[in-house]
Amino acid sequence: MPTPTLLQSIAITLIQCVLVVLFVFVVVPLTVFAERKVLGHIQQRLGSTRVASGHIGVTGWMNRGMWKWGRIPVLSYWRGIPGLLADVLKLILKEDIIPAKADKFVFFIAPALSMVSAVVVFAAISFVPGTFFVFPSWFPGLAGLPVSGGIADINVGLLWILGVASVGVYGIVLAGWASNSKYPLLGGLRSAAQMVSYEVPLAISLLAPVVLTGSLNFGEMAQRMATGTSAWGLVPQVFGFLIYLTCGFAETNRLPFDMPEAENELVAGFHTEYSGMKFGFFYLAEYINMTVVSALAAGFFLGGSWLLPFGLQGLVNKLLPAGAWIAGPHAIFFVAKIIFLLFTYIWVRGTIPRYRYDQVMSVAWKYLIPLALVNLLLAAFVRCAV
Amino acid sequence: MNKFLRTLIPSDIAKGLAITGKHFCKVFFTANRRKVPFHIVSEYPEVVAKVQPRYRGRLTLLKDEQGEIKCVCCLACEKICPTQVITIEKGKKEGRKMPYPVRYDFEMERCIFCEFCVESCGFDSIILNHQFELATYNREDFSLGMEGLSQNMFEPSPVGKFSVADD
Repeated sequence: MPTPTLLQSIAITLIQCVLVVLFVFVVVPLTVFAERKVLGHIQQRLGSTRVASGHIGVTGWMNRGMWKWGRIPVLSYWRGIPGLLADVLKLILKEDIIPAKADKFVFFIAPALSMVSAVVVFAAISFVPGTFFVFPSWFPGLAGLPVSGGIADINVGLLWILGVASVGVYGIVLAGWASNSKYPLLGGLRSAAQMVSYEVPLAISLLAPVVLTGSLNFGEMAQRMATGTSAWGLVPQVFGFLIYLTCGFAETNRLPFDMPEAENELVAGFHTEYSGMKFGFFYLAEYINMTVVSALAAGFFLGGSWLLPFGLQGLVNKLLPAGAWIAGPHAIFFVAKIIFLLFTYIWVRGTIPRYRYDQVMSVAWKYLIPLALVNLLLAAFVRCAV
Repeated sequence: MNKFLRTLIPSDIAKGLAITGKHFCKVFFTANRRKVPFHIVSEYPEVVAKVQPRYRGRLTLLKDEQGEIKCVCCLACEKICPTQVITIEKGKKEGRKMPYPVRYDFEMERCIFCEFCVESCGFDSIILNHQFELATYNREDFSLGMEGLSQNMFEPSPVGKFSVADD
């Protein structure tokens, strides 16, 4: 394998960035669509099936067309997709109102902060260990060069992920403050308290994999968690997964911990005054954050790019013949786990009602932090004893 | 101790997730594929909407088997109507013993669909049918009547293309 020159390695990194951004911006709109459909199905509805509601004009023509395609079983599920397109069009074309007494610069920078901190985390996530694919020999300029499974192979990746992800709270707090209005301010303050509280059990529950694997690199941790833990490692992994998922719901401000954006108390929480594409950025950031939390859970607890979760793959691999397809890592397993966890997000949203604000806080400080500490202790025992 | 364990083990959440998951799977696998779907909504403009049997729609005059108007102008409906939307003009017709309504005006814009008129009628000559698409573009179109007025009370509403006309 030839060693790449500086220009070539820059080109390869750019291609990786484009691939990851493509992945994010394909998964996020599909999650928005799936949210409509899955919530509908849970409530015995059909979810989104048409654009606008007319029977005349352009939308009427589209609706009649979609009704005809709907007779075919598989196509019937995708009838709501043009509605997604209409949503994007609406967000881009809508008037962008800035309140007269708002702090203009902070008001402008807040959605960008939450969006950037959500996207940048993907740099440290490796989708598959080692090389993702090798450029074929006919490819101009990059023939025979490997593309690795993640953009950056950071050896303190977990610290970096947690650090960058927690910058996102600034976006929400600054948005609430800069709007110069009561409801956004309350939403921002609540979200500050909530997200700072839930950062603690989240970090402690992620310490269990660190203790079990002895590494902070995302790819290395995923590999050792999937294939290198003993049978006793199952217990802290399962408990850690549940604690991490609960904290992840709270950290991304999803229901049932939907405190900053409490529709029934605070109009729309921190983004009450936002409209147009600035609101769209908050909307996107929420879904990208969901994908990030799902990717971390999939990597650390559900066995990353290996098939079986909770370190079972390492136990099963001893029984499998060497070189079996199921035994090896594949990016498709990782993506499938992310998608399943995104479905779980929507599923939980459709099931559990909202918590009260003081209940949210007591869940974090009275239950999740002690449980996470006990889980960390368990992980340490497993690490020392086995 | 029992309460503490129930707090720790999320069994109630698991039960709830099982129920919603079951509902999701049922709707997901039966939508558009079975005669009787599991979802409870109907795709209204394309599929004819069915309303409950006791639904109170627009007032309709009934005719008997010979095509004669059943109404005998007893004015019970006009008297009981709380918003006074019904106006009847009594008249006579050749070869008919009972009085005959020359005009039966019904102003739908003030009607509250209480069905008192139908209950008070001793001859079963009016009903509220199952039509629910009653919007019009002009205020004048809300004054319904017998032949000659913009909306004929023997025919379905001109804008109601998708709902069931009558039972």
